[in-house]
Amino acid sequence: MTPAFFDTLRTPWLWLLVIIVASFPGWLSSYHLGIAILALLYVSLALAWNIVGGMAGQISLAHTVFIGMGAVVATALNLRLGLNLWFGLVLCAFGAAILGIFLALLDSRFRLAHLSFALITLAFAEIGELVVTGSDFLGGASGLYYPKAAGGLAQFNFGGSTGYLFAALVLALVCLLVNNAILASPLGFYLRALRDNENAAQAIGIPILRNRAVAMAISAALSSVVGTLYARYLGFVDPTQLASPTLVIEIVLIATIGGLGTPWGPLVAAAVLVPAGELLRGKFGGVLPGLHYFLYGVLIIVVVLTSPEGLVPRLASLLQAVRRKAGETP
Amino acid sequence: MDTLLLQTLIQGLLIGGAYALIAIGMCLTYNVSGIVNFAHGDFLTLGMFIAFGLQGAAALDPYISVAITLPLLAVLGALTYQYLLRPVARSHALVIIQLTLGLSFVLQNGLLMIFGGQPVRTPSAVEASILVIGDLFIRTPQLIAFSTSLTLTLVLFVVLGYTETGRRIRAVHQNPQAAALMGIDVPRVRTLTFAAGIGILAISGALLLPGTTIWPAQGLRFTVITLMALILGGMTDFAGVYIGALVIGVAEAVGTVYVAGTTGMILPYAIFILVLLLRPNGLFGRAT
Amino acid sequence: MLRIEGLTAAYDGPPALSNVSLHVEKGEILGLLGANNSGKSTLINCISGLVRPLAGRISFEGTDITRLKPHERVASGIVQVPEGRQVFPKMSVIENLLLGGTSRAARLQRGTRLDQVLALFPRLAERRPQPAGTLSGGEQQMLAIGRALMSGPRLLMLDEPSLGLSPLFVQIIFKALGELNKQGLTILLIEQNLTLTLAYAGRGVVLERGQVAIEGARDMLKDDPRTRAAYLGL
Repeated sequence: MTPAFFDTLRTPWLWLLVIIVASFPGWLSSYHLGIAILALLYVSLALAWNIVGGMAGQISLAHTVFIGMGAVVATALNLRLGLNLWFGLVLCAFGAAILGIFLALLDSRFRLAHLSFALITLAFAEIGELVVTGSDFLGGASGLYYPKAAGGLAQFNFGGSTGYLFAALVLALVCLLVNNAILASPLGFYLRALRDNENAAQAIGIPILRNRAVAMAISAALSSVVGTLYARYLGFVDPTQLASPTLVIEIVLIATIGGLGTPWGPLVAAAVLVPAGELLRGKFGGVLPGLHYFLYGVLIIVVVLTSPEGLVPRLASLLQAVRRKAGETP
Repeated sequence: MDTLLLQTLIQGLLIGGAYALIAIGMCLTYNVSGIVNFAHGDFLTLGMFIAFGLQGAAALDPYISVAITLPLLAVLGALTYQYLLRPVARSHALVIIQLTLGLSFVLQNGLLMIFGGQPVRTPSAVEASILVIGDLFIRTPQLIAFSTSLTLTLVLFVVLGYTETGRRIRAVHQNPQAAALMGIDVPRVRTLTFAAGIGILAISGALLLPGTTIWPAQGLRFTVITLMALILGGMTDFAGVYIGALVIGVAEAVGTVYVAGTTGMILPYAIFILVLLLRPNGLFGRAT
Repeated sequence: MLRIEGLTAAYDGPPALSNVSLHVEKGEILGLLGANNSGKSTLINCISGLVRPLAGRISFEGTDITRLKPHERVASGIVQVPEGRQVFPKMSVIENLLLGGTSRAARLQRGTRLDQVLALFPRLAERRPQPAGTLSGGEQQMLAIGRALMSGPRLLMLDEPSLGLSPLFVQIIFKALGELNKQGLTILLIEQNLTLTLAYAGRGVVLERGQVAIEGARDMLKDDPRTRAAYLGL
């Protein structure tokens, strides 16, 4: 691990945040606790996606399949075959990784343009949704329901909201650390080189397939794990929610609004937008369903037109400008 | 030939024809702007919902309310191109994808907020009408959709190939700089063509509406179908795109009839992935 | 006829043109000379409106055209034959020519002008229905010029018309240009070929790294050693 990685670990802000979040069960209502859990799950999803979308610079809409794998397949294996969810989690993460590598293989073998890659991943996502809704084993169109919470941690049951909050927090931290680890490593460097100028990177000998496949595999596996936790937390799997392209588009939008340059972009964006969205949904959801999605859409349009690098970098540079101004007035 | 197969093929061709018009719309918008609009299907859905709304509010048959939805969508298309897409036309592909995905979300959820999430149907005078030829059943709305789309596509083809306006559009597509030097107002041509491409969706919407259920989130599905048709057909050629759409339609019909349930719908996507990988320039393999 | 004052233009980076001023007299052939990347193309693209200058003024026949859009400049009578011909490859010769006269004003005279162009370049008449992309370089150049003439230009600007052409075609084309000039067409000619340009142009302006290095009548330029020096980047 390079020094840069440990620098992140030493960031006081990060640990402050972790402590604050960990204290939530003490003073947040269960409704707000639920929102926090959801936010953390989305932070994890956004960070997992960022490995491919931000660092490798590839718009993958196939992540629905990875998330769905962890959510639907693991659940199905548990409910239908009695397979312990921890095993299911690992198995599905592995399966998702294989699928991710397969996609990276397709991309490299056929030298797909960004658009073609996005379309193929979208086609995979659509196929994935059709496979799920068409299979009774996987729950079909009606989904899968967990029977009332049985067993303890060994059965992947985290108990009440507190348990899931900690689980989601740990997972979010893991995703953040993985992001930073990659960023500070040769892999991260290669990915960004490939992202910024594929031809030049190739010319100096950076292997495309190996790096992208690794990134995809990690991203897919992480997404799958989050999927499993998400499903277990909700207690049921709704294929139109967890296996549909809408989910990954939502993640793409959130990550992009935050800014794809660093992990902090998707993290902050998810941490802010998801609770905001949920609160909006709570207030207006009955009258105006989809309001928060509508606003995400408006927000991304505004961001793309005014600050295409994302809001977090924009805010960061504003802060810097302010600090500089403050420093300039002696 | 086995009746079921024939019926399925005909069904596929008819629905493919309806898809084709949608794809032609995108062919226009893509070729003059260079932008793949991921919200294309959502504009279609918007048109369909407006028609649905007009039906409910003013008892206007969808075939007639086209007179309202067409200009409405055309203007919306022009505004979208002018203010949202033109500023980013030269940006990275990712940026454009994100922008149009965002637009898709806006349209989709705007409709959701207004109409709610339940699927709805628009009753129409022709929806129950069926044509019987021997052992074959042909639903009249589908026949109308097919013939209208074919006719309209031919008309557009002739306009593009043999009129002054069409020539100018082709010039802008082939070499925008040279076109500007000819005294062609390139931004205006682009805006108008984009508007036309979206306006066509109003017609497609009216053709698809009778007898089908619609819901706000269906846009993406149509966008994907359109993109598949476009890629199969080679992106630029009307004839290719039309045939591409027919292939998708037939694949969809064959898939759903011969493989039970929703799994059959996988066939078009599977074919698409294969073609995109093996023949990235489309079924007709013309390198641009 | 055309007056340029203090024109400065840049793409992302150092200026391609710095404070360039020159004028084109009505009825003359002005040669715009200079080595590669000296700013010649940028200059006529500014005149055509394809490049927006950072500073400066362009006026044509007394009117300030700096703010006009490209298609409006064509309507004013300023027409460019771009570098590399830039014909519409998938369209036929005839379609290319018709497009040349596509602007509203030009359409009124299109029939007449088409006959004139085909008379000027009989080769094009022979190739009427052929796709422009299948023509030889020289024929494409004829087509590009013919296309430009269809707009009824008062100022015709050509960017390196002799590039890649055989000497025979160069002769045919420049003879035609000479004819047109005698009939009253003002021409602004960019050419790398110094000798060729000075054979036809009455006056010349030499650009060096985006600035006007020398300006003067043909004979003066011919004898001035600085002209060749500017080309060699000395």
